[in-house]
Amino acid sequence: MAAVESAFSTEQFRRMEETLRTLLRLHTTRAPIGQTPKDLIWTLNKAKLYRYTPVVSEESRHKVPLLLIFALMNRPTILDLRPGHSFVEYMVGKGYDVYLLDWGSPGIEDRNLKLDDYTLDYMPRAIRKMKAVAGCEEFSMLGWCIGAILTTIYAALRPDDGLRNLLLLTAPLDYSDKQSISFARWVDERYFDVDKVLQAFGNMPPELIEYGAKALKPVENYIGNYLRLWDNLENPAVVESWHAMNTWVNDNIPMAGATFRQLIVDLYRGNKLINNEMIIGGRRVDLSRIRANLLNVVALADHITPPCQSESIMMKVGSTDKELFRIPGGHIGIMAGSSAAKRTWPHIEAWLAARSD
Amino acid sequence: MSVKTEPSSDPFEAWRSMRDATMKAWADTMVQAVNTEAYAQATGTLLDSYLTATAPYREIVEKMMTQVLQLSNMPTRNDVIGLAERLTNLELRLDDLDAKLDGIIEQIRRENTDSRASRRAAEEGR
Repeated sequence: MAAVESAFSTEQFRRMEETLRTLLRLHTTRAPIGQTPKDLIWTLNKAKLYRYTPVVSEESRHKVPLLLIFALMNRPTILDLRPGHSFVEYMVGKGYDVYLLDWGSPGIEDRNLKLDDYTLDYMPRAIRKMKAVAGCEEFSMLGWCIGAILTTIYAALRPDDGLRNLLLLTAPLDYSDKQSISFARWVDERYFDVDKVLQAFGNMPPELIEYGAKALKPVENYIGNYLRLWDNLENPAVVESWHAMNTWVNDNIPMAGATFRQLIVDLYRGNKLINNEMIIGGRRVDLSRIRANLLNVVALADHITPPCQSESIMMKVGSTDKELFRIPGGHIGIMAGSSAAKRTWPHIEAWLAARSD
Repeated sequence: MSVKTEPSSDPFEAWRSMRDATMKAWADTMVQAVNTEAYAQATGTLLDSYLTATAPYREIVEKMMTQVLQLSNMPTRNDVIGLAERLTNLELRLDDLDAKLDGIIEQIRRENTDSRASRRAAEEGR
């Protein structure tokens, strides 16, 4: 009897109630992400260009501004996850004039938007505005995931536009090793009819994109993720980190239909970009025309963009100052995981600092 | 010097270790499974069947909605899409104008600076 009483003490009930409250909060609320103060300085259709409020005086700031370009099917808030654990906050604190191009969520009216539109209509205009606000003709550009495809195309098509430093993170550029790329197998033309999907939906629905990303590691994503939370429910630091990441992971957006089609047909199936065969706006994308200083960050345990997809560009670009930085970690973990602030961010910052004045 | 570790007092520790080991084995098996041609073929077939089965329904809904909206003197989806596309084109033109305006302002500023500098030089020469 005494044992039963001690097992169901008031303290036990209090802890159980707290656990339930935490679980309820995590599943019914969104964590406040993307909190670093910023100003909207340009818009076009759904795209928005933000400038993060500098915290370092103008004299101490690096001269060359940094433009961040994220993927098209997720929100860019992963770059500014939460105060104290934000790449944007870190770079602003280190004296960079940081800008973010947020693509927004395409509607059905944007189904015909192609990589051509993003790289030749949207990016040059946003960059013009950024240069005008920053008062600097040169700039650095960081592209992550599909954002790295966009920045690579831009750098190759507009090498005289003032791009001094190009940073690529987990860049899916080479699709030749089909055995190592799970997505390549899934979207093989024998199994996946991209036109039928786009005829039905117009844009690529976020639910299908999310399924694709999670199905690469189904047990970890659908079960392990929640078990990790359960094991750490009494650790507020882990809980808040989980909440922020879960908010971001489940906030996917559609991808413009025509862009998705290019991604599948020209890249996953045709591997045109790395072979200098990609045609954008009627022009061939020749990677040897990229002359900007290049930092290529590769995640060694990346299951979405395996290293084989990112490394070969080092041999293709015309840049003389180039570095391949291999880092342990996954596709998102290298920039938003617990070790990002100790390993990835300082390396990027040090590389950029030497080339930003 | 060896360090003696106390046996864990958590009665669930052994169960948790076993669970994690099972999960790891399961996760590895599933990763291998989703990387097979058979999985790619199966998901492709599932998606294709869904799209084929729902196509007639989607078509009927679209036709009906278009008729209902037209009869009610309301804009259809295509009308709204057309309007949104025109708005984006307008935004592009506005952005072009903005760029030109910025260029003109910059040129005026530069010319003003140049003329001030040449006036100052002329005054100093006198």
